[in-house]
Amino acid sequence: MEQRKQKRSVSINLASMRKGFAPKPLAVGVATVLLSACGGNRQDADVYTSANDCIEKNPEFAEQCTAAYQQALEEAARTAPKYNNATDCEYDFGQQQCHRVESGGGSFFVPFMAGYMLSNLMSPRGYHSQPLFTSYSPYSPYRYRWTTADGWDYGYYKDRRLKVDKDAFKPKPAVNRTIKRGGFGSTVRAKSSWGSSSKGWGG
Amino acid sequence: MLRLPIPPRANWQQKAAEFGFYFHTMYGEPYWDESAYYQFTLRQIEDDLEGPTEVLHQMCLEALDVVIRDERWLAKFAVPEPFWQQIADSWQRRDPSLYSRLDLVYQGQGPAKLLENNADTPTSLYESGFWQWLWLEDQVNQGLISKGADQFNSLQEKLVKRFADIAAHYQIKHMHFACCEDTVEDRGTVQYLQDCAREAGVLNDFVFIEQIGLSESGHFTDLNDHSIETLFKLYPWEFMQREAFADAIPGAGVNWLEPLWKSLLSNKAILPMLWRLFPDHPNLLPAWFEDELPISTAGKLVKKPLYSREGANISVYQGGQPIVQSDGPYGEEGFIYQAWNALPRFADNHTLIGSWLVNDQAAGISVREDKHIITQDMSRYLPHIIL
Repeated sequence: MEQRKQKRSVSINLASMRKGFAPKPLAVGVATVLLSACGGNRQDADVYTSANDCIEKNPEFAEQCTAAYQQALEEAARTAPKYNNATDCEYDFGQQQCHRVESGGGSFFVPFMAGYMLSNLMSPRGYHSQPLFTSYSPYSPYRYRWTTADGWDYGYYKDRRLKVDKDAFKPKPAVNRTIKRGGFGSTVRAKSSWGSSSKGWGG
Repeated sequence: MLRLPIPPRANWQQKAAEFGFYFHTMYGEPYWDESAYYQFTLRQIEDDLEGPTEVLHQMCLEALDVVIRDERWLAKFAVPEPFWQQIADSWQRRDPSLYSRLDLVYQGQGPAKLLENNADTPTSLYESGFWQWLWLEDQVNQGLISKGADQFNSLQEKLVKRFADIAAHYQIKHMHFACCEDTVEDRGTVQYLQDCAREAGVLNDFVFIEQIGLSESGHFTDLNDHSIETLFKLYPWEFMQREAFADAIPGAGVNWLEPLWKSLLSNKAILPMLWRLFPDHPNLLPAWFEDELPISTAGKLVKKPLYSREGANISVYQGGQPIVQSDGPYGEEGFIYQAWNALPRFADNHTLIGSWLVNDQAAGISVREDKHIITQDMSRYLPHIIL
């Protein structure tokens, strides 16, 4: 007899559909990376929490450790998620995990760089580095995880040796200078006397 | 097709809070209504809804192919001229689409008739793909519904798969998602799509439509000043095409969801276009542009703006006189006419079927009821089963 095909989704992961709290825009995407199985691209990367941490483990490469640390700090300043206030930043990263940055008359809050990953430290062709963040917030999917600025999860924060693909060291999206906001949404304001607070513009 | 009463789950409100379904009640009125459900046979679903939904979608694509090559039609669709080429390009490239909802009149027998195609910004997605699925699981476990019952609803499964396909198509790992501020329903719909994208391994960020910025380099940006590379927007193309950032769209290089070509399918002008190309097709209602309306029409006519949402600015005409009208802010771009076809009545309700597509595959239905003959934003959502 012919097996009747089920017309509804076979299974739904209910745990992942639960919301502990109201949906709010997170500064970093919520996802766990499924590292691709393309073996050729995988490489080892070591995580250091400071330049000294790196130097202690690689005394003969002190200069590279320091330079890579500085480079990671600069990259972190460029790419770290930025928040308008400390509360929002701490909601995602935990108490005392954020600091204020002054920029062009304004200021915002970013998480501290928690470490940096390094690969090919000993290669004559030069090393690769990338800043890493971690969260101590119970509300964050990145709690106790190594995370890059674009939201990739590289595993438990006590682990110091990572297997990464070579994309891991690509520069993260540049933070643009936005010259104007609010260029979309005016039609809704014009028509909103017909709308109401909770109904949207879908159909 | 039956409407059957059933006791609501005792803890459903609590469950809704747990799963983030925040708009089940609006203005103190129920929107999600599980005091009854609709029951369909598998034949009704497969022969009368699933099959015709995919056929109607293909007919829409054929109509699109005609409109896109002819400036007269683009003008008739009231598409702003700067977008003519952009829409054509997006169709030539076959930019991938995500999902649509066809609104159908269906009596439980005979052909379902297309009322309109919500191809750009359909909502009621979460309640369809997830919440009514969970309702059936719970009611079967309670023993109130037969274990043999099924539901026409593979939406979530198909959406997750589609996000993976789209990410592969554009070779991306990340998408932005956007809707307007101050709408719980739209935010919930977009959060659901973010959840589906996450299931597909796609990283995602959210930004409100009003907060989108334009950078020095011509890219759209989120509040962190990151470039928006791919954007799902629960915001109509016809609005965006007429707003301040419209000129920046071609230079911004965004992978749009829905793609630009879908704006022609969600335009009500597609209805008379379909009738011209496929006259007397069993799943279509006769429809005309304003200037081709036959002089004498026996039955009632419905006048719809080219662009309108949630049943706004719809009027019903008989003998040239409006007999029913709904208010709203739409209509400045023109109207079309469609032959009146009454929704079936169950108890005191007028019942409308929403039939979902993920890309070009039929993916399930939603059932909405309204006390009024024009289904508006206060209609209630009821779950369904197949038995």
